[in-house]
Amino acid sequence: MFVRRRGQRPDGQDPEGNGAIATVQESDDPGALAAQLYDMLHEVIDPEVGVNIVDLGLVFEVTLTDRLADVRMTLTTPGCPLGGYMEDAIRRTLTRVPEVDDTHMNLVWEPTWGPHMMSHEAKRQLGWVS
Amino acid sequence: MGIVTTPVAGRPARAAPAIGLTTPRRRRARWVPPLMAVAVVLLIGGLWEGLVYLGLPLAAGQRSLHVDHGPLMVLGFLGTLIALERSVALGPAWSYLAPAGAAVGGLAVICNAPNGVGQAVVTLGGVILVAIFVAVHRIQASLHNVVLASGAMCWVVAGVLWVANWDIPRFIPWLAGFLVLTITGERLELSRLTGRSRRAEVLFVGAAGLFLGGLIVSLFAEAIGVRIAGAGLCCLAAWLARYDIARRTVRGQGITRYMAIALLTGYAWLMVGGALWLDIGRMSFADLGRAAHGSAYDAMLHAVFLGFVISMIFAHAPVIVPSVLGRPLPYNRWFYVPLVMLHVTLLLRLVGGDAMHNKASWQWGGSLNEVALLLFVGLAAGAVIRAARSQRKAARPPQPADGSVQEAQAAT
Repeated sequence: MFVRRRGQRPDGQDPEGNGAIATVQESDDPGALAAQLYDMLHEVIDPEVGVNIVDLGLVFEVTLTDRLADVRMTLTTPGCPLGGYMEDAIRRTLTRVPEVDDTHMNLVWEPTWGPHMMSHEAKRQLGWVS
Repeated sequence: MGIVTTPVAGRPARAAPAIGLTTPRRRRARWVPPLMAVAVVLLIGGLWEGLVYLGLPLAAGQRSLHVDHGPLMVLGFLGTLIALERSVALGPAWSYLAPAGAAVGGLAVICNAPNGVGQAVVTLGGVILVAIFVAVHRIQASLHNVVLASGAMCWVVAGVLWVANWDIPRFIPWLAGFLVLTITGERLELSRLTGRSRRAEVLFVGAAGLFLGGLIVSLFAEAIGVRIAGAGLCCLAAWLARYDIARRTVRGQGITRYMAIALLTGYAWLMVGGALWLDIGRMSFADLGRAAHGSAYDAMLHAVFLGFVISMIFAHAPVIVPSVLGRPLPYNRWFYVPLVMLHVTLLLRLVGGDAMHNKASWQWGGSLNEVALLLFVGLAAGAVIRAARSQRKAARPPQPADGSVQEAQAAT
């Protein structure tokens, strides 16, 4: 079994500090695959703000089980009309990996999303910080 | 193969959270396309009567269609789309009663159903939309959700007054209330991404409260109420210009920039509409369809409903249509054509027609407003169809060369 956490450094610390994790288990090369799936979610952009869902702090956990990638994530608000758009974009992105047949967007509302979950890069892109 | 997940070191493991919403892909009921088709029928009916209002020599259609152009466009067409977007996002089957009410009720109004049945069904759709926001609030309470629910309440108030046979100009500010509070509630939510301050939140509540207060006063003292609501619209437009995320994202590229430009131009029209409400106060369509030009009423409404609202629709369609329909709508630069056309022709209508009393400008401007809207619908539909075709093509397995089929079968 292999566990990879979001933004995990070699010393095991979580520099983002927002509680997001990524796990991949029992794969031939789980470390590389975990990194690949997680990094690929940087390609899923919220079109309205032009920032990817990982940097927005929306993704909590990615697991791969029986070729199904389960993305545990939230939206900035329940009932956000963009949910379907995001799910399709995630599916299109992750199924490019041969080891992934399908995806499941597992929407959760705890922890509640807040701007503090955004990465420094997202805040920079949206003009909070320089 | 079991799944084990590990929380970040040093944090307590969280219990599996209760999930209030179902998986989006499963939410898209089969009757989403039929409801969207009805919305298009209502749009075409409303646009036809719009042309009749403009004085074009066309058959006027049913009396109700002629009289109820405004409520049909707002509660019928836009009500169906907005409620559909919310019910797809929330998921449960009952939530689809909101767009169904708007669609079926709108059709009943077009067909001149007796005893205000259509108006009552449309109003019921608004009640279900309020229930959707109550359900969302129970999952996660927030200020922006309260604003969105207030917008839905405006739908209900407008619907009740419609059923009660009030003159349309008396309740049309409530129709604007539905759309303005729905859109600004969304923008309030997104403004959190820019690090919205407590002060900005208070300012928004003040502006929205002023607008809502004006709507309420308009029930008893029309001119004063409309003026107060107009001041509220100006404050909301100023708030959006100052705090909305579009100010930052307009520096982006592609779809992000397109959306930001559509939003910012829409805010300018909201400011114009608010200023007109504030200045003129009284809403009356006495001259509309007779004098057929120089109408303050025409300018007061279409600055908001076309300039602000339709610009928002153009902005959000490339992301909302895929969410609702489950089919991609790839952005392309041609979307700027109907957007620019909408704003230029609205200027022609309001400045050349309404302000300078030139009937030809008013008619050309108004007709071309509709062309811009239909052009956008056509471009969007074409993009959806092309994307679906290329998806099917990509999913099809490659055809082997002649003669190789049998070889392939023999090999297996």
